[in-house]
Amino acid sequence: MTDKVNDTIIKMVTNLKPSVDLEVNNFSCGTPLKRSSSSVSNDSQTSSEESTRIKRMKYAKEMNFGYMASPRETRRLRTDLLEGRNTIMNLESRIQHMHNVRKEMEIMYENESKLLKKQHESDRKSIEELEAQLQSIRQREADLKKQLADVNNKYSMLKVRKDEEIEELEKSLTEMKEESRLFDGEENAEIILLNRKLAELQMMLDAAEEDAEAQKKLVLELEKRLTEKSVTERELERKDQALQVALLKIKDLEYAKENFLEFQDQAKTQVQKLANYVDLEKDVEKLKCENVRLKDEVKNKLLLEEEVHDLKSRLTHYKEQEKRIAALQAEQVQTQVYLNEWRSVARGICEVTGSDSSLPHLLRCVVERLQQQEISLTSSKVELESQLSTALYEQKVAKTELEKSQKLLVEMKKTIEQKQNLFHRMQKKLGLVSRERDSYRLQLDSYEKDLTMAINPPSNAPHTSQLQSQKERIESLEKIVDNYRELNAKLESDLQSSNPSLYSEHGTNKTELLVKLQDEVEQLKLENDMLKQKRDQLEIQLEGLLVGQDTLHGGKVYHLGNNPLAECLAQREQLVEKLEQEVERLKIKIKKLEEGIESSKLGESALCPEEIHTLKEQIKTHESQTQRLKDYFKSSLHEFRNVIYMLLGYKIDRTSTSLYKLTSIYAERAEDQLCFQLNNEGNLNLLENEFSSTLEEMVNLHLRHQKSIPVFLSSLTIDLFNNSTMATKTFEIE
Amino acid sequence: MTGVVQQSKSSITLKGSAEIVCDYLNFGINSILFQRGLYPPENFQSVENYGLTILMSTDNKIKEFLSSTLSQLKEWLIQRSVTKVALIITNVKTLEVMERWDFRVEYEGNPDEAGGQVSEKPLKTIKNEIRDVLKQIASSVAYLPLLDCLCSFDIQIYTKSNVDLPSQWSEAEMAHVKNAQTVKMRSFSTNIHKVDTVVTYKNED
Repeated sequence: MTDKVNDTIIKMVTNLKPSVDLEVNNFSCGTPLKRSSSSVSNDSQTSSEESTRIKRMKYAKEMNFGYMASPRETRRLRTDLLEGRNTIMNLESRIQHMHNVRKEMEIMYENESKLLKKQHESDRKSIEELEAQLQSIRQREADLKKQLADVNNKYSMLKVRKDEEIEELEKSLTEMKEESRLFDGEENAEIILLNRKLAELQMMLDAAEEDAEAQKKLVLELEKRLTEKSVTERELERKDQALQVALLKIKDLEYAKENFLEFQDQAKTQVQKLANYVDLEKDVEKLKCENVRLKDEVKNKLLLEEEVHDLKSRLTHYKEQEKRIAALQAEQVQTQVYLNEWRSVARGICEVTGSDSSLPHLLRCVVERLQQQEISLTSSKVELESQLSTALYEQKVAKTELEKSQKLLVEMKKTIEQKQNLFHRMQKKLGLVSRERDSYRLQLDSYEKDLTMAINPPSNAPHTSQLQSQKERIESLEKIVDNYRELNAKLESDLQSSNPSLYSEHGTNKTELLVKLQDEVEQLKLENDMLKQKRDQLEIQLEGLLVGQDTLHGGKVYHLGNNPLAECLAQREQLVEKLEQEVERLKIKIKKLEEGIESSKLGESALCPEEIHTLKEQIKTHESQTQRLKDYFKSSLHEFRNVIYMLLGYKIDRTSTSLYKLTSIYAERAEDQLCFQLNNEGNLNLLENEFSSTLEEMVNLHLRHQKSIPVFLSSLTIDLFNNSTMATKTFEIE
Repeated sequence: MTGVVQQSKSSITLKGSAEIVCDYLNFGINSILFQRGLYPPENFQSVENYGLTILMSTDNKIKEFLSSTLSQLKEWLIQRSVTKVALIITNVKTLEVMERWDFRVEYEGNPDEAGGQVSEKPLKTIKNEIRDVLKQIASSVAYLPLLDCLCSFDIQIYTKSNVDLPSQWSEAEMAHVKNAQTVKMRSFSTNIHKVDTVVTYKNED
């Protein structure tokens, strides 16, 4: 479309007007670029480019050709141009739009391609997973087949065993049957015996029955006689009773008679007594007087008895007192004697021959004096003892000091001896050194002699050179001598330094040295003692520690390589390794358990995942079954209740274990409910509530009199129905 | 049973003396193994010797070990290179030495005697001495502390430096017992070898 338009435009332009060439040129130049960017297909692009190039060439050739167009034509051309430009613009926009659309499409395609790739990958992964699952399932299948085979084998084995067992059991059964037959045979014999016995017993029974009948007849006769006799007995009893009554009456009468006789006698005596009344009065008076007298005598007697008693007690008391007096008198005599003795002692102590009254006082003074003296003496004694102890202590101290000083003296003497020894030694050394010196001097003299000797013989030789050599020799010898002298001087100075006591003052230096040496000696001794003590302690510790130590005095220790200790240790190590491995294994298991991968048992159980799976499936099936059953029961229950409601006209609700609430279909209000309770015997009782109280008549009639609950309920429904229909009827009427 | 090799009627040679010492060690070690409870009592059977009933182990491993050790010891006794035989009882867990039974060997008599060393000591006296020592070992259970832990034993032979060592033998370390008490028991002598028995045990804490 675009090509065609461009072709037409360019043709028009080339054919009609050159003034519009520039615009057209631009236009034609513009379009190829746009076309190259807008065209989708390459062929059209290339072809259009070629065509445009060709046309440009043509146009370039045909540029010179031109003519003056008329204004109409120019206007037409301009309009055409504008139209063309518009169409071009439109096309460009469309092209751009198409480009955009293409870009969008490309993006969409890219997205779709990505999505497809992802899907492809995910499909691949799913395919791989499915393949893996397939493999695992196939393995499971194989395992299950193996198990099936095993189970089948076991089943066949079991079957075989069971068949064998069945055969055995059948054999035993046949044996048992035979035995039973035998038993039956035996039993039959027994039965025959028993039957015979039975027959005999029956015969005996018959005989016994005949006897029983005879006995019964006898019994009847005896009973008759008994009744007759009982009758006679009763008559006899009656007669006895009458007899007894009569006897009692007789007794009473006799008793009365006796009483009467007694009364008669008493009356007689009374009469006699009356006659003696006067005498009796006199006797009475006499007796009274005597009574009074006797009473007085009794009183006197009592008083006298009391006095006697009192006197007796006093007697005993006085006797005791007499005894005491006697004892006291004896004591008094004794005390008098003691007192005299004491007085004599006191007189002796106090040395007074005067009165005895002042003796105690004097004695007391004397005793006090003596006590004070004693106190003073004891105090003086204590003081003396303390002085004694101090004196003893001082004595000991003095002794120790004495000993110390003696020891010091001894030591000093020893040091002095040592010093003297040293002195002697030094003197000896001096002597030796001096002897050395002398020897050296002798040597020197000898050397000198040699020299002179040496010098003398060559004195005959020429003088000058010899003189010089001699001079040289003399100088060397003089040097040697000087050296020796220096040596000597050194030795003497050494001698002096080593023996200062020989060449220096004696007195004070010696004491100072002695003191110093003594101090050093004491310090050294203390150190020595301390060191000895430490050594002893360490030795004791060592002994204690070394008790267990094994000592080897040269030589070596050998043992057999394959010894029980090594074996034990190896076993122990193995045990430890095993335990460590087990510990690691258990730790891993615990971790797995915590993550919930393994089952609850510690791998000891024989359950494998397949069994678990089957068990889980079983559980699921069971659960689904129970659920189905529940649903079924619920639905059937609902249906049943609805049917009952519809058929019998009562909705029965079970509120608790034994409480049932009935609502009638024709109930006027929802609260009109009857409550029934199931009691222990299994019967229903109607409970009182508002609604039942309104039904008193029916309750009385049907429940209390007729004792039938169905009748009651049906009458109630009829009643309610009538009420409701009446109401409807009335409603209808109205 | 005594294995005395007699040259003349009642004298004992060097070999015989070595064998007597090894026998004593065999019995002594077995009785110590039983006493200290190193092996369960059902592994032991009683054997009569030296006038005593001694319990000897029936475990083949122990028997083998003892026989090989004692045979080597016998050789070394004849060569006069053994100074001491130590039976150490070690705690397997802590590798601590709990007890050490030292059997010190001293050599008596003249080794360079012509015709080999011979002892005129009567066998009965030697046996009596051995019996006394074994009785002492048996009675040591009174004062030795209880070995609560799992323990095992080893036999070490202390020799002079210049012995040739068979293949299975290796050097061992001396076993020191810490916090120890020693009890010296009786000694017996064959006039060729004199054996002292000392037990060093760890004090109970």
